[in-house]
Amino acid sequence: MPWSKIVGGSSRLGELLEELATGLEQGLLPAGIFNDPEIFEREKEKIFSRSWIFLAHTSEIPSPGDYVLRYILDNAFIVVRGEDGQVRAFLDMCRHRGMRVCRAEAGNASHFRCPFHGWTYRNDGALVGVPAEREAFGEGFSKADWSLLPIPKLEEFDGLLFGNLSPEAPSLKEWLGDASWYLELVTKRSHAGLEVLGPPQRFVVNTDWKLALETFISDSYHTLMTHRSLIELGIAPRDAKYAMYGEQIHIPGKGHGTMVVGGPPGAKLPPFWGYPEEMMERAKTSYPTRTHWEVAKETRIFLITLFPNFSLHNPIRKPDHLYPKPVPMLTFRVWHPLGPGRIEVVSWGLVEKDAPEWFKEKALHSYMRFFGSSGTFEQDDTEIWSHVARNAGSTLGRRVLFNYQMGRGVAPDPNWPGPGVAYPINFTDENLRNFYRRYLELMLD
Amino acid sequence: MNLTQEILDFLYGEAELLDEGRYREWLDLLTEDILYRVPVRLTRERLPQGGHSGISEQMFHLDEDRTSLEMRVARLETGFAWAEDPPSRLRHFVTNVRIGEPRHTPLGEEVEVRSYVLVFRSRWDQPDFTFLSAERHDTLRKQNGSWKLAKRLVILDHSTLPTHNLSFFL
Ligand code: FES
Ligand SMILES: [Fe+2]
Repeated sequence: MPWSKIVGGSSRLGELLEELATGLEQGLLPAGIFNDPEIFEREKEKIFSRSWIFLAHTSEIPSPGDYVLRYILDNAFIVVRGEDGQVRAFLDMCRHRGMRVCRAEAGNASHFRCPFHGWTYRNDGALVGVPAEREAFGEGFSKADWSLLPIPKLEEFDGLLFGNLSPEAPSLKEWLGDASWYLELVTKRSHAGLEVLGPPQRFVVNTDWKLALETFISDSYHTLMTHRSLIELGIAPRDAKYAMYGEQIHIPGKGHGTMVVGGPPGAKLPPFWGYPEEMMERAKTSYPTRTHWEVAKETRIFLITLFPNFSLHNPIRKPDHLYPKPVPMLTFRVWHPLGPGRIEVVSWGLVEKDAPEWFKEKALHSYMRFFGSSGTFEQDDTEIWSHVARNAGSTLGRRVLFNYQMGRGVAPDPNWPGPGVAYPINFTDENLRNFYRRYLELMLD
Repeated sequence: MNLTQEILDFLYGEAELLDEGRYREWLDLLTEDILYRVPVRLTRERLPQGGHSGISEQMFHLDEDRTSLEMRVARLETGFAWAEDPPSRLRHFVTNVRIGEPRHTPLGEEVEVRSYVLVFRSRWDQPDFTFLSAERHDTLRKQNGSWKLAKRLVILDHSTLPTHNLSFFL
């Protein structure tokens, strides 16, 4: 397969993609794809410039004028709710000579005024003020031609706002495909929907975006070693195989994957992630189908990764090593690529709007103590990811093949009630092989 | 000994424990009702009245009580806390210390202390290092003749952390 011909020019890029193409079905991936300048350049063009990228949750901007500043690659977008209540996103770049018009990461504004020459835009993007307009630009000038540039595509799924840099992109609904069924297990858990628990934490990790998301789409296998410290403290179960008991499901052709984990047999965990019983009861009427509720009732750990770089993690947790009852937490993630071997993690904590107040507080603590910038689980992940990336960028290391062979030969579960292709054991790399199939498809396109 | 010297001794002594990884001894410096918080910082427009802006009241990098701090320290002792094993080389530079008027409270004598802290972090054999810089707003309380930390608010100067985790204390 002459992939090197298809991608042309550079033999280094061609070699890596060719190795990926020939090795993928055997579960062999070249380390070099995880920290390479040419791979990163091609990912920018082939993946991030035409995929749906998570920007914000609508609860971050509940009122007219509320805005947050978010990035896709190196492009800054103002995601803002207009006076008409509609959410829009604009490139934060003045149409005159390119200055940033938004002066903060979040806030409320009816207008954005450029500090360079004073062009002023309404929060629906319209240019409404040009100093000395007539004297400077004369009669032929029309402000209507110089609105802020809207993001090529912006769509919402149950409060989750995604943007796309390509005007030709398929709809978000089509992009998500059957993954939306699983997303609904979280977004439709209550009639009221989700709310963010404050602004996201942001921190930089010297790793590759794909290495970070692997943990959130597959690789429950790492839990027993990476997170052994929490096992020692009695926060995670002692059973080395505890993360194995669950279904791993992927959406073929889309690259998305999810893990629905019930917990070890006989573990006596509370149903429905351990959410308060009233929430479990209410979910009976908020879920679109009875099957959603039945799956949710047996779920204790739940993860989704939407291709390419959005993840969601929703586990049952003990809030500390002494607390008697587990409390679930929910986090959203963007693995924002900054460069080869370097990402920014943008990490939100969320909870159902109509959850009891005591529970919201516990869920927030559960999130902050286990995931995010100081999370006792996640800090060990980030440490490990950074060393893997460092090796993957080394001259010899980049040629080494990684093993993605776990679970080869396991047959899909014919009895799984949800959509997608489900495997009856979570110790498999099937979701990752599916993810990289999609990745390769786009990279070679 | 005068108050200023007592407070400086406390802060420098604390920095020594943190830099040497003597976390059990560090826990002994904290009151039972310790509240230790590092809020998320955002870039916001200047406040009309001046002063700090963009300090989240809801989301924190760390929002800890005695139990959760003990959990974090216990974790470091398991032998499997990879984020700090091998430990980071840390150096807490504490400066610009300002000490308020001591006051009597039902819980004992308390004093507000502000300081700047610059934390140097170096990991493994990498020549690159990271710095965290912050202002600390502390409440110290005198118990059985010695000062303890009852409250700490760490106001970071970063909106995006330049380091891969907060696996240590500020
Ligand atoms: S660059 Fe904005 S007004 Fe000139
Ligand atoms: Fe992990």
